[in-house]
Amino acid sequence: MKRETALLLAPGVLVLTLGFVLPVLRVLTLAFDAKTGFGLDNFARFFADSFYPLVAWRTVRLSLVITLVTALFGAPLALVMARAPRWLRMALIVVVVLPLMTSVVVRTFGWLVILGRGGLLAQTLAYFDLAGRNFSLMHTETGVVLAMVQVLMPFVTLTVLSTLEKIDPRLEEAARVMGANFWTTLRHVVVPLAMPGLVAGSLLVFALSASSFVTPGLIGGVRLPVLGATIYQQVTGTLDWGFAAAQATLLLILALVVALPYAQGARRAGASR
Amino acid sequence: MAQLRIDGLTKRFGAVTALDAVDLDIPDGAFVAMLGPSGCGKTTLLRCLAGLERPTSGTIRLGEADITTLPPERRGLGMMFQSYALFPHMRIRENLRFPLKMRGRGDAAAQDAKIDEALRAIRMEGMGDRYPREISGGQQQRVALARAIIADPPLLLLDEPLSNLDAQLRKQMQIELIELHRRIGLTTILVTHDQEEALSLADLVVLMNAGRIEQIGAPRDIYRKPATAFAAAFLGGANLLDVVVENGLARAGDGTALGPLAAPDGPRRLVLRQEALALRDAPRPGEATLAARIVAVAFNGATSRVVVEAAGQRLELTVPAAAIEGRAAGATAQLCFILADAPLV
Repeated sequence: MKRETALLLAPGVLVLTLGFVLPVLRVLTLAFDAKTGFGLDNFARFFADSFYPLVAWRTVRLSLVITLVTALFGAPLALVMARAPRWLRMALIVVVVLPLMTSVVVRTFGWLVILGRGGLLAQTLAYFDLAGRNFSLMHTETGVVLAMVQVLMPFVTLTVLSTLEKIDPRLEEAARVMGANFWTTLRHVVVPLAMPGLVAGSLLVFALSASSFVTPGLIGGVRLPVLGATIYQQVTGTLDWGFAAAQATLLLILALVVALPYAQGARRAGASR
Repeated sequence: MAQLRIDGLTKRFGAVTALDAVDLDIPDGAFVAMLGPSGCGKTTLLRCLAGLERPTSGTIRLGEADITTLPPERRGLGMMFQSYALFPHMRIRENLRFPLKMRGRGDAAAQDAKIDEALRAIRMEGMGDRYPREISGGQQQRVALARAIIADPPLLLLDEPLSNLDAQLRKQMQIELIELHRRIGLTTILVTHDQEEALSLADLVVLMNAGRIEQIGAPRDIYRKPATAFAAAFLGGANLLDVVVENGLARAGDGTALGPLAAPDGPRRLVLRQEALALRDAPRPGEATLAARIVAVAFNGATSRVVVEAAGQRLELTVPAAAIEGRAAGATAQLCFILADAPLV
């Protein structure tokens, strides 16, 4: 390796080692640390009854739903932005990114006001006689998904937008002249070419929602715990770091099990161009 | 196949008028070249024909049908783009299948047969399973052309199809385009800024300038008899010599009598092609002549380009290299030409 390359790599390697590799190793040693030295006690406790496996299942399920919904809403928005005049595109980017600039706690409290009993949503639905006065999306998975989608959508929208902008507009025109209408052009030309961006964006969303705990904690409450929240509870509440580390390890494994085949498929799709 | 009829076609982009009331009839089976400098409206015209731009006003008729507002996918045309626009995520076969599939031509087996035939015609058998990035620029160009005509369109639109090829490949492709056109007789409209390409390929040249048609004609006619100063200067880079006609006699700007000219009195401009001018010590019988001073000589091999000053104007001429030997910049000579052969604009 050239000396310049080594020097350029050094800061990144240093930060990754201190901030990622060492902590992960420490979490792993904590997870496998039993009273008798090395052991699986912490994992045995996780699977002792159905509570924690159900929490893990909810975490994965919610993350998948959130990923799907962000893709369904975020990708078409990216298409609109890619076609919009420059000023409108800039305005939309600001609107999409703005939630990321707000503190997660403030943003979540905003959702409490909207989703809670007697909140904006309940009042509106009641006004049109679509729901009772005490309708509330608090402590429901729908509420959690809504609040998470709002903040995670920019990750899909912006990555898809950047791939869409790289597609030669002549390709769509060629497809139209050859007899494809708007929708078939979208299906055969635009979507396949935008796939790498959609895959990268939704992987980000999946990873971020699987590890989130503030928003699910505040909106889902204690009735709908996710792994992020139970880990947080073990670390700050009961101070059982070994058990927290075991849960963190399982969360990492779950995320990899979902993400790796997905990334693999994307690579194969990407290799065909 | 059908006749194409364009009436009063106008396209404005905000305050810019890209096409200004263009009228044009294109006969069935013609090979037409739209020629002009960049921004003259030729590409906008082609895009209006393809349905990729909606004209501000005017009509486009293909055969009996008014296609002015028809979306591109319902016009059934073939088009080849400057960048080829091959789908990077599809193999060559699938690229060729696309128009057949979209227009619902035959079942998969019939399409396969058609694709094999097309691959054979462009000498690319056995390369159908490659991706566009795995073949050369010339091969991409041939695939793009094959894809444009595979579904038998009534009209083929070519948008600067050869400008991405090197000079040698371009010459070869020009010949192939001519042969293709002669073989299948498909009405073809080519957009180009390369006058040589337009003159050598087309049987009808439409010269455009500033959103209007400057002149329409066969390549020979448009070259020999330019209708306007723009046509004369754009095609072949002719010299325009200012003359004054008085009682049927033409005089150059410095007063030199050039000879009789059948034209009304007043100032005129004489179109002098580079190859129609000669430098001699004395004029031959029947030639008009002007005293000229050589400004520069550029040796090009078989020919030399010479810049001279005559009658207060700079003129360029191309002469056989041997004819200029012994003459250098600063020398004087007689600039000779046949007045009756020079068109007036």
